[in-house]
Amino acid sequence: MRKILRLPRSRSAADFESLLRPHVEYLYRLAYRFTGRVEDAEDLVQDLLVKLYPRLHEIETLGQPRPWLARVLYRQFIDMVRRRERSAIDRTGTVSSEDEDDPLAALPADEPAPEEACERSLLQAQVLRALDQLNGEQRAVLTLHDIEGYRLEELEGILETPLGTLKSRLHRARRRLRALLAMEPFAADERVSE
Amino acid sequence: MSEVKPKMDCRNVILHLDDHLDGQLDATQHAAVQEHLERCPQCRRRYQQAAALRAVLRSLPVPAPRPGFVQEALARATLRAQRRAERRSTLGVALAASLVLGVALGMLVAQRPAERPDPVVSLVLEQPEIVRLAFNAARPLTGVTLSLTLPENVEIVGYAGRRELTWQTDLREGVNLLELPLVAYGPTRGELVAHLAHGASSKTFRVKIQTGRAEEAAMPSIRLATS
Repeated sequence: MRKILRLPRSRSAADFESLLRPHVEYLYRLAYRFTGRVEDAEDLVQDLLVKLYPRLHEIETLGQPRPWLARVLYRQFIDMVRRRERSAIDRTGTVSSEDEDDPLAALPADEPAPEEACERSLLQAQVLRALDQLNGEQRAVLTLHDIEGYRLEELEGILETPLGTLKSRLHRARRRLRALLAMEPFAADERVSE
Repeated sequence: MSEVKPKMDCRNVILHLDDHLDGQLDATQHAAVQEHLERCPQCRRRYQQAAALRAVLRSLPVPAPRPGFVQEALARATLRAQRRAERRSTLGVALAASLVLGVALGMLVAQRPAERPDPVVSLVLEQPEIVRLAFNAARPLTGVTLSLTLPENVEIVGYAGRRELTWQTDLREGVNLLELPLVAYGPTRGELVAHLAHGASSKTFRVKIQTGRAEEAAMPSIRLATS
């Protein structure tokens, strides 16, 4: 009976961990913003870290790795969304019977609500539910810009998308969100083509 | 005399509402939108709703990662990536040499006859090859310190830039196999030195490493270097 001796932990493993550790919570935060689910955020970050490991030397050369990391995370997220779409587990745009039973799903009535009531009605849960119905690209630009406060010029690099496209995508995302929340409709002719 | 300002209609205001919220309008556009909002209750409501929505979006919490997630994720990534790298580095990689090295640590000091030549391993440049060291222990040994020193221009795959590795391991009685995926990045004629220490006893094995042409290294060589 032979024993297989294992080599010690490589230095690159220690380097990888010390280099990435300060950014994992940031990546988790973005992943959660993108996906809206703890388990999906964990999966996204985990898969990303596995992919990043062989690129340790590349990451080491980056003075400010976060925009680059955010870009790779975004690509990973879009891949995840497309994989799910292909495997027909697309959750966007569907309302399950569970949702119908949920009192939170009762969005405000069609008539415009008074301002105060509208503000009260914009519960976080409803907004989260509406965000979940945006497509991946819309959700990413909206959460990064409107929630995380990235400027569109910064997002050009992170999302690898031209500024004009980002503007119209953001515009569409907001409009869809407002529609999903049954807010007062904006004019129909405000469409901006992407 | 007051300056005449261009007035915006509802359609224009709606088009500019997001930019207004983002603070992206120039002073003239900003003033025109403000002026319209003051006199148009419908657009004012739209604006207030959009602003309220923005406020709710910004207040959406992100739960902190569960305790231990960061460390687990890093450790799992390291492990998975290293396993992949090991599989890649060993799949289809030629066996450069299999060397059986006798170990009798704790019983006696090194007694390899001086006249026995060191084994020689030939590597092809930039082609990873496995060198298998088999330490044959006369009895189980715990807490053996194993040190490897590599010659110039030779690396263990996955340990870039490391010329020395030292770690502790246990040896069982009989054969203890250590597979080293070695790669040469330049000409070398040095030695791979494996040093084992256990308590007051220690033993050193030397394997000559040389770089050669592909045809020279194509045949795996099996050598015995028992002490």
